[in-house]
Amino acid sequence: MAAAIEIDGLSKIYTKRNGPAVVAVDNLSLSIPAGQIFGFLGSNGAGKTTTIKMACGLVLPTSGSVRLHGHDVQRQRGQAMRQIGAVLEGTRNVYWRLTAWQNLLYFGRIKGVAGKGLQERAERLLRELDLWERRNDPVRDFSRGMQQKVAIACALVADPPIVLLDEPTLGLDVQAGRTVKRWVEQLARNEGKTVVLTTHQMDLAESLCDRVAIMSQGKLLTNRPTGELLGLFRQETYELRFRGKIDEAITDRFDGFAAREENGHTILSGIISEHDRLYRLIEMAEMLGLELLGVAQAEPNLEEIFVELLDRAGKGESNLEQSLNGRGPTSTLREVV
Amino acid sequence: MALAGTIVLNEIQKRIILLWGYKFNFFTQMFMIGFIFVGISFFMAGGQPDPELLASGLVGYLVWFFALAAISDMSWGIREETQTGTLEQMYMSPLPTGVLMLGRSIASLFISILMVGISAVVLVLLLGISLPVTWSALPVFLLTMAGLYGFAFILGGATLVFKQVEALANLMQNALLFLNGALLPVDRLPGWMEAFAKTLPTTQGIIVLRRVILDGQSLTQAWQDGSVVELLINSTVYFVVGWFFFRWCENRARRMGALGQY
Repeated sequence: MAAAIEIDGLSKIYTKRNGPAVVAVDNLSLSIPAGQIFGFLGSNGAGKTTTIKMACGLVLPTSGSVRLHGHDVQRQRGQAMRQIGAVLEGTRNVYWRLTAWQNLLYFGRIKGVAGKGLQERAERLLRELDLWERRNDPVRDFSRGMQQKVAIACALVADPPIVLLDEPTLGLDVQAGRTVKRWVEQLARNEGKTVVLTTHQMDLAESLCDRVAIMSQGKLLTNRPTGELLGLFRQETYELRFRGKIDEAITDRFDGFAAREENGHTILSGIISEHDRLYRLIEMAEMLGLELLGVAQAEPNLEEIFVELLDRAGKGESNLEQSLNGRGPTSTLREVV
Repeated sequence: MALAGTIVLNEIQKRIILLWGYKFNFFTQMFMIGFIFVGISFFMAGGQPDPELLASGLVGYLVWFFALAAISDMSWGIREETQTGTLEQMYMSPLPTGVLMLGRSIASLFISILMVGISAVVLVLLLGISLPVTWSALPVFLLTMAGLYGFAFILGGATLVFKQVEALANLMQNALLFLNGALLPVDRLPGWMEAFAKTLPTTQGIIVLRRVILDGQSLTQAWQDGSVVELLINSTVYFVVGWFFFRWCENRARRMGALGQY
């Protein structure tokens, strides 16, 4: 499959006059296939937004390059910018004093589109996003969800093949979040656009993304199809069932495990990749006076994998990607439990 | 050419809509233009302003108001757009950013002409000032504005990198009012101050505009006495230096990742 975005040896180091240099992105190389929904995951400061901004030409890389459908962002800026539309996190992205319609026409012209084609495209986008009836209202009068929809529409007004969405559902209510999610899906599935999104909502990434990349401290930890990544951890995800309700202060001691209640019992789920860890957890539960009812395999979710990978990266495990590649389907704890 | 026209019209349209969105502010500014001029004129003339001096003062004052608008647009304007993220959206355009910035400047000038023009007509009618309209003033005016916007580009560039440049912008706005000959002809300033004042943008423009509009001097005469040449050099230097400084700052802001920071 042809690559929509090719990132090659991309690094960004911020140097300060009276302080240490900050490595925001460290020798990042990855390829994003066209027509897919690609999730960029990582905690705050992982380097996701810096990478997105380098792809948009807003931040100059210290080294390396980004190519959008073969066009180098630095050397062929004009051509490269025709390939993308972006909604960046933390800002309005559009003029709140202008109406939705005025914003679309303004940004359309800024992006080199004009005339009847622009008006038709703007109308189509506003209708698809259920904003047509309110096209003549100033954006400042809209709800947060509607404002975000206008920003996304403006990013798409020039019909770019690549859309970069930085935290597209941040701060949206459930309904607005769902609309944006549905629309993102439609962009890739029906219109063949490549959608790159950064998010902290793992459930959103899991349900939406064909492929995910996880970053930590500027480094790429993994970059795989979502299904493949989940598959790698399928046999290492366990649920520990304890009797009764357990206080949060205690469940927090089970690092990397998510707690939930079910039928009056507490279930801790997480990834256990070493035999020893399971024994240690059982010992710790005994010491804490918890009554273990059972251990069972469970379906992994992206959040658990994300926490596990960040945990390993935090412990300095090198070549994480290599160790993931070396995983066999039988290297599990199944027989132990 | 068509592209440049579209960009300029697009910007003008946006600015008019935004201006109208802040109607109260717009009319207050128009009132302020007139009020400050009347106040200064009466104050400087001890309550009995000479209509002939009023015309000379008005030319300088209006040019200063253009400076006020250009500096505001390039400092506060850019900072506001950084905060809202619309500046980053502009920088994601496939069109050359230089063309977009020029388009913005021309649109800014157009809006200033609209505001200053209306205020000027009201003042002329209200105070009975004789201000002859002559086409010879147009190239002088445009040349003055080129230098002024070059100067504003310097502040715009500084805004991209340093963000908080309001104090500098305020200082420059006030310095221009007192030193560019708007209130007091620069030849009445002490020698060293006169020399400094003449290096500022708009000073030479005001001198030549007064000669062409009020003294009836032709462009040829102004060229021959060297005043237009001086203006040409001053404006070219400001525009070229301002333009390259702005582009340098853009590049630096991109390196610092500061285009969207505020």
